[in-house]
Amino acid sequence: MRTNLLCDGATAQSLGLEWLAAELEPVSDYGRRAFARLEPYRPGDEGAAAARAAQVSGAAQALAPESVEALRDALRSAPDASGAIARAGVGDTLADADFLELLRFCDALERVDALLPKNIPKPPRCSAIAVALERGRAGKFGFYLDDAFDRDLGTARARAAAAQAEFEAARGRLLASASAALGRADIASPEFIVMRDARSASLPEGVRVIREAPTYYLCELELDESALAALRRRDEASEVASSGEERVRAALSERVREHVAELERAEALAGELDVLLAAVRFTQRYACRPAEYHADASLAFVDAHYLPLQAELEREGRPYVPIALTLGEVAILTGPNMGGKSVALRTCGFIAVCAAFGLPVPAESARVALFAEIAWLGIGVREEPGGLLSSFAGEVVRLRDVLARGAEPALLLIDEFARTTTPDEGRALLLALIVRLRRLRVCALVATHLTGIAEDAGAPHFVVRGLREISEQAPSEDLDEALQQLAALMDYTIEPVGAAREHTADAIFLARLLGLDAEFIDIAWQKLRGREGRATRPRK
Amino acid sequence: MKPVEVGPELLELASRVAPSVVVVGTGKNVGKTVVVRALCDAAAHRAEITGLISIGRDGEAIDASDALAKPRLFLQSGMLVATAREAIPAHPASEILDASDLQTAAGPILYVRVRRRGFYELVGPPTASGMRRAIDRLFALGAQRVIVDGAVDRVAALAGAHDAVIVATGASNVTTLREAVQNVAALVHRLTIPPVDSNAPFVRVEGGLTPAAAAQFVAEREQRQIVVRDPTQIAIRGKAFAALRSRLDLRCERPLRVIACTVASIGRDRYFEPREFMESVAAEVGVPTFDVYCGTVQAA
Repeated sequence: MRTNLLCDGATAQSLGLEWLAAELEPVSDYGRRAFARLEPYRPGDEGAAAARAAQVSGAAQALAPESVEALRDALRSAPDASGAIARAGVGDTLADADFLELLRFCDALERVDALLPKNIPKPPRCSAIAVALERGRAGKFGFYLDDAFDRDLGTARARAAAAQAEFEAARGRLLASASAALGRADIASPEFIVMRDARSASLPEGVRVIREAPTYYLCELELDESALAALRRRDEASEVASSGEERVRAALSERVREHVAELERAEALAGELDVLLAAVRFTQRYACRPAEYHADASLAFVDAHYLPLQAELEREGRPYVPIALTLGEVAILTGPNMGGKSVALRTCGFIAVCAAFGLPVPAESARVALFAEIAWLGIGVREEPGGLLSSFAGEVVRLRDVLARGAEPALLLIDEFARTTTPDEGRALLLALIVRLRRLRVCALVATHLTGIAEDAGAPHFVVRGLREISEQAPSEDLDEALQQLAALMDYTIEPVGAAREHTADAIFLARLLGLDAEFIDIAWQKLRGREGRATRPRK
Repeated sequence: MKPVEVGPELLELASRVAPSVVVVGTGKNVGKTVVVRALCDAAAHRAEITGLISIGRDGEAIDASDALAKPRLFLQSGMLVATAREAIPAHPASEILDASDLQTAAGPILYVRVRRRGFYELVGPPTASGMRRAIDRLFALGAQRVIVDGAVDRVAALAGAHDAVIVATGASNVTTLREAVQNVAALVHRLTIPPVDSNAPFVRVEGGLTPAAAAQFVAEREQRQIVVRDPTQIAIRGKAFAALRSRLDLRCERPLRVIACTVASIGRDRYFEPREFMESVAAEVGVPTFDVYCGTVQAA
């Protein structure tokens, strides 16, 4: 999944694309290769992207989840026969392990064929190869170069076995004779020791000394004429049997070579099917729906889910609240801490990435453009430890690079840009950025805590509703408990800002709820009132 | 000391303990493969379906480390073998039973059944956990017994499991008979440290027991049991281990079962007097000791 064609690594990390890639991971080597090549649709490909999303969605409706798993099991069981196919294609003689892989690949194709409905493209079954290899099936899963492949092979093997037995009988006679002469229970090793003090006379016939030590001889058995003749016959018979086996392998390899084109097509389609099934599973699991594609640089969705966070919350037994947003050009997003501004930005990016790869999106409905670039700026970008750049400088350099690339249309997700410099200069820089973005064909959502930005920039303004009844909540000493309280109180709804809103100080309430002491909080209130010259009241 | 059929005797000892038997050596060229072959022959004589596997590479005709001839493994039909794909002989053809995702430098490990007797080279999984999985797979494929051509540093995966261990030693890699005896005795004593007594005080060592950590325990006159996960985590060898054993109560959570030793008096560049070597080893290790080359055994 070549997300690098759509966004840089820092953006991918901020949007949780590693999670997405893991969810879409195919199960076979064929699928993994196809997945690694998967590219996003580019602006202008809206029709193709929509067709792909419709295909995934249609398959998700046509296939029961159990059928998807059964198909994935079939593909998972398919070994990677690409090496064998390629070698057969250039005329190599394949090994038995290659034939086993091909046989199992054909088994998987047959299972897939039986399970897949007619309206989904099927890989060819490669029946000719399956039939050719079937004679080698050993048990349910094994392969053996069976005598049935070649009339002469069985005869040659029988002769080789008989010759081997004859040689072993001859050698066994010599061993038994030597053992008896030496008074040994057996001779278990090809080299054996005979103690000098046990031999008053010479060694028995057929025993050769290969090394002498002061107290013993190291010996080995010497074959007599009869055993040597049996050995020659064994080697000759073995050579004939080996030639027979090689002849069968060559014939089977030639058969595979004749069908290489079909096998390669089966490989490719099996890979594509695996990728499709992973997308179908994703669609079913998260109730995704195809987005409506359009050419404007805009993004709109209803009840959208940022799935990486949803999965995390579900693991902790906490609910996830979907959001809705309509984003045209450049818009400002404000709201309290922990109110979900960053999640809203991530949701925009996640929906856009899913749509770019032709996936149904995790939303009740969505209208999406295909962006040439999706970029994340500000909080959340992993900084390289020990770098020479400060946080601010790092942000500026990333912004410079994004502007220099000038991809159009682009989706920019900006989370508290310039937050680490002085508020006045940060505000000025942010306003300048908005002016520049509005000049370009860019769709952007800018989350900030700075006040009056939307008004000064003349940009649409959204706000997260934020915390309800927080002023009535008692502080908690237990962080988990406090977080659960916060989650219950937070209203993540995003709404457009109409008339000027009363400034709220949820941050101080939050600080109290998270355990800062009463004296600390009182001073904070006094300072805020002194600065604003008016009493601040919590929202209800 | 008495004459004996070494393979059947060793197999009988192993059978009383476990369905799998692991042969480990004190070093290279100490007769390990000869012992494995004797066990295979004995198992074939009993008509048992035997699985064979090696830790690392074994059974090749020439020793990869010094280019000298090595004993090869001539396997009987019906045996199951776990070996790397590239090590499977083209002739005689084998029945390929299954493939695994265990990788080696010679390709993935495949499980094969020997259909016609022939020479095999064993290339086993490079990791202890891979070895455990491969042994289990051999049993699942029908092996009644599994013989492992092992290595001391990889035997950790077998600790606590149902495996009998045979320790092979020889005249290679040492300068005197005394040194060879000390080495094998230290190895056997290390592998057979008793299991921890959870009713008595103990201190658990995480990771390996290093010489420095052991010296610290000795200096502190530690009286509690010193517990490692398995005996192979004690990274102290030879005479140093013998000294340590007399001062510390060494224990493990997953003990090994050493059932016998074997001796090979013939080294590449020296020899030992066979009887003296076998008797000395047997006297030190406390388990029956066999000489495969002489066809003799010395009781413990």
